[in-house]
Amino acid sequence: MKQELGWKPKLLGFLCRWCSYAGADLAGISRKKYPANIEVIRVPCSGRVDPLFIIKALRLGFDGVLVSGCYPGDCHYQTGNYLARRRMAITKKFLEYIGIEPQRIQASWVSASEGGKFAEVVTAVTKELKEIGPNQLFTDEK
Amino acid sequence: MKNNEIQQRLRQEAKTLLEQGQVEYIVGYETGSLKFTTTPLLTNNKDDTDRLIVNPFIVNNLSVYLTELKGKIGIVAKGCDSRSVISLIQDNKIAREDIVIMGIPCPGLIDLKKVELLLSKDRDELGDITRDEDRVVIKIDGKEKNFPITEVLFDNCLECELPTPQEYDVLLGEPSTPTSGNVSKQTSIKELEATPREERWNFWKEEFSRCIRCYACRNVCPACFCQRCFVEESEPQWVLPTPKWQDNLIFQVIRNIHVAGRCTDCGECERACPMNIPLRSLARKMYEIVDELFQYKAGMDKNALPLLTAYEPTEAEDFIR
Repeated sequence: MKQELGWKPKLLGFLCRWCSYAGADLAGISRKKYPANIEVIRVPCSGRVDPLFIIKALRLGFDGVLVSGCYPGDCHYQTGNYLARRRMAITKKFLEYIGIEPQRIQASWVSASEGGKFAEVVTAVTKELKEIGPNQLFTDEK
Repeated sequence: MKNNEIQQRLRQEAKTLLEQGQVEYIVGYETGSLKFTTTPLLTNNKDDTDRLIVNPFIVNNLSVYLTELKGKIGIVAKGCDSRSVISLIQDNKIAREDIVIMGIPCPGLIDLKKVELLLSKDRDELGDITRDEDRVVIKIDGKEKNFPITEVLFDNCLECELPTPQEYDVLLGEPSTPTSGNVSKQTSIKELEATPREERWNFWKEEFSRCIRCYACRNVCPACFCQRCFVEESEPQWVLPTPKWQDNLIFQVIRNIHVAGRCTDCGECERACPMNIPLRSLARKMYEIVDELFQYKAGMDKNALPLLTAYEPTEAEDFIR
C-alpha cells in the first residue's frame, strides 16, 4: 500500500478509568518513552466500549483502535472487562471477515501499576500499524 | 404426516385456543396475494382460523410479532422460529407462559427464486409445486417434472440444525430430520474467506453500494428488537440517513454484532432484502464465530443467559496483549 510522505499512524485508545488510564498516567510520570501516535479517550470501564465506537473511529480515519482495561478479575465493576472481552472477540473476527485488517483492532490488559507495559503496548501497536499502512478503508467516495 | 393433516390439526388447535380463551391472538400463515406465497395471519377471531395454512412456502419468522402484541399469543413455529421465540424469552422480552407454541416439524422450505431459475420460468407459468419425500414435483403445462428437493430448498434450510421445534406446547406432526444430506455446507462463506482481504472488502463495498437502507432486514428480524435503533439517533449521529455505502456497511456490521447470539439463521434478512444483498452470509458467519468461540447456539436453552451478558473467567484471550 502506498505510504504518504511523513505519514504517521493515528491510534485511538479507549482506556478504562481504573486501570489502563492510570497505567498510561504512570507511564508519563515514570518518563517512559512511547510513540506519540495515540489519542486517548477515558471510559468508565472497558465494558463501556461499544463495537460501534471502534468502527466509527475507523470510518473517521483512525488507523487503529486500542481498547484497554483491567486484567480479568480486577474489574472495578466486577464483570465489565469479561463482557468487553466477549464483545471484542466477536467484533474482531467479524470485521476480519468483512475485510478489515485485524491489526487495526487491538486490545490489552494494563493495570494501574504497569506504566512500562502501557508504553510497550503502544510501541508494538504503532509498529504494526506502520507495517499495514494508512487506513484507506472508507476513503472511496462513490 | 401430510401437510393437509397438519393444517387440519392446526386449525382445530387454534380454534380451541381462541374459544377457550387460552390466547388472545393467533399468529400463523394464510395464502398470500402472489402465486404460491403465504403471508402472516394475525387474528383474534376464531372464524379466521379456517384460513390458516401449512405448506412448503411458509417462510416468515412470525416471532417478530411477539414483542409487538400484548396478551397471550398462540404462535405457529417451525424449528428456527421456535429458537427465535426461546431467544426472546432469554432476553426477557416475552414470558414463556404468555406464549402457546404450536410447533411444526419443518422438512425445509422451497425457495421460489431457485425454482424459477431451475426451470427458467416465471412462477405464474407453473401449475403446482408439491413435495414428495426427497423429490419436488412441479407441474408445467399439464406435464410433471421432478427434481431432488435439495435443489430448491433455501440455503439455510439445507444447513438446518433443528427442523423440529424443541420447545412447544403442541407438536403438529411427527418430528422430522434435517434434509441437508450430502450438501456441502457454507461454501460461499469458505470461498469468500479464501480470497485476499482487500478483495473481501471490495466485495462488501460493492454489495453495500446497492443498499437503499429500507431497513427491511432490521424490521423483519425477531432479534432486532431495540426500541430505538442506533441509526436513527441524531446526537451523536452515528451514520448518515442517506444510503452511502460506508454507512450502509457500518449499519449492517453493527446490526450483526447486536444480534450475535440471538440470530438463529432463519434467513429472513436475506429474503426481505429487495436488493439481493447476501445478508445471510454475514449472519451465518457471525453464527459460526459465536459457536466456535463460545460453543453457543442461539435459542437452544430458555434458561441460558444471553451470549453477551455472560462470560467464563478464561476464554477468548489470544488476541489480547
